[in-house]
Amino acid sequence: MVKIHKELDDMLLVKLDIKEASLENGDAFKAEVITLFDKYQKSIAIDMSSVEYIDSSFLGSIVSAFKHLISFKSEVMLVGLSKDLTNLFGLTRLDKVFKIYNNFDDLTK
Amino acid sequence: MTIHKPKQILLVDDDLLFLKLIEQVFKKSGFSCTRAGSAEAAIEMLEKGEAKPDIILSDYEMLKMNGFEFRSYLMHDQRFKDIPFVFLTFFSDKDFIEKGLDLQAIDYVIKDTPMNVIVSKVNNILYAVDKQRELSENEVKKAAKSLNIKSIPVKAPVINGFDVDFWHMAYHDIPGGDFIDFIKVNDRYNFIVLGDIMGKKWMAWFFTFGFLSYVRSAVRFAAFNNEYSTARIMQQVNAIICFDEVLQDILSSLSLLLIDTETNKITYSGAGDLPLLHYNREADELQMVSSSGLLLGLFEEGNYSEKEIVLKQGDRLFVFTDGMIDFIDATGKKSDYKQFSKTLKPFMEKDNNFTGIVSNLFNNNLNEQVDDRSIISIYKN
Repeated sequence: MVKIHKELDDMLLVKLDIKEASLENGDAFKAEVITLFDKYQKSIAIDMSSVEYIDSSFLGSIVSAFKHLISFKSEVMLVGLSKDLTNLFGLTRLDKVFKIYNNFDDLTK
Repeated sequence: MTIHKPKQILLVDDDLLFLKLIEQVFKKSGFSCTRAGSAEAAIEMLEKGEAKPDIILSDYEMLKMNGFEFRSYLMHDQRFKDIPFVFLTFFSDKDFIEKGLDLQAIDYVIKDTPMNVIVSKVNNILYAVDKQRELSENEVKKAAKSLNIKSIPVKAPVINGFDVDFWHMAYHDIPGGDFIDFIKVNDRYNFIVLGDIMGKKWMAWFFTFGFLSYVRSAVRFAAFNNEYSTARIMQQVNAIICFDEVLQDILSSLSLLLIDTETNKITYSGAGDLPLLHYNREADELQMVSSSGLLLGLFEEGNYSEKEIVLKQGDRLFVFTDGMIDFIDATGKKSDYKQFSKTLKPFMEKDNNFTGIVSNLFNNNLNEQVDDRSIISIYKN
């Protein structure tokens, strides 16, 4: 469900191609991100523009992947959050934890 | 309240005519069907979450990936390996059956079996699977009950000057990650705790006790030392959780409130929780009360702050978990805090009690449940 979009010198741009991000795909998502990190050893920016709904289990998986990467001095960045997701991240202060960008262009500028 | 959704079946066959035919038969029998013209297409649908079947009925003989290879693929994926799998085939020889059953296919159906018999067979398998699941869940529920452990209290506390009520509904009637606690320190100080472990069902439920024990201990230690700061307690709970190896990777939101019945003040600290809603009777408004703290278990420095809330007579304060703002509409699942606040507002009439508010919410907004739902109401009388 996590597809590589582009590899840059200092980060990997990936796309998450699911509509509902929930308990059912959270563990697999985390495993895929960590596998990518193990292989490429660089920060990962995830385009989430296809995600319409996210539950707390999946948020937990993103945060947990993020914690794994920062322990290796890398990070997870989020790109293209929908209005609903932006609101949810704001309400729960996760917007203070992640660097969030509108699109890959904004991020790589 | 149980909502019976139609069972989802994923039909896989490269004979498109047969696929359409069998789809019609299953649809007529009340199934919700997804069709895939090849094993590869079926895998893609499963991967993308476009198909979430309760059962898979797959042809054996297909070009490229055949039924066995398809089954083997699913067996190696945690997400899909437990979905009941039935082979459809023209073969009926012994070797085939043995090979198929090695792959833990639940059953096989010979393709020229009358359609109604195929449907009955699938129905019987689904019934048996549901029954087995129910039995296992009942066993765990029984075990939990005998240990006398609860993540949700039986009744609300009696606090001088305030009416405290709560309502909780577990997702699919299985205990989940939401936890509530009321801790009375003395006649003056009462703590109110609402948390939500990220995750669902048994896994999350199991960890609620770890979190609850830490919260209870931190509150008690603070009380012994005569320190009544919710932010300080939150900081301590977070620090312990960050150090606890068992709870590593487990995150939780938490709303911690302290009611001081002498000053009538409420102190609040939040950790990655949703903002509270304060109904101000005088202004006739529902106002958001936000906090700054991050989820418990995220960073050692959680940035916990403290907010003082003064409720005037007739005011009401709502503390709730994210299951309350989740709902499903025609376009899919949604989380909408503003919508929840808007739905809640008209029920704030003077003589409406908490039970009335909850039943009104049920009739208007809370249609199909997506997650655990918990809400606590603190009313100044």
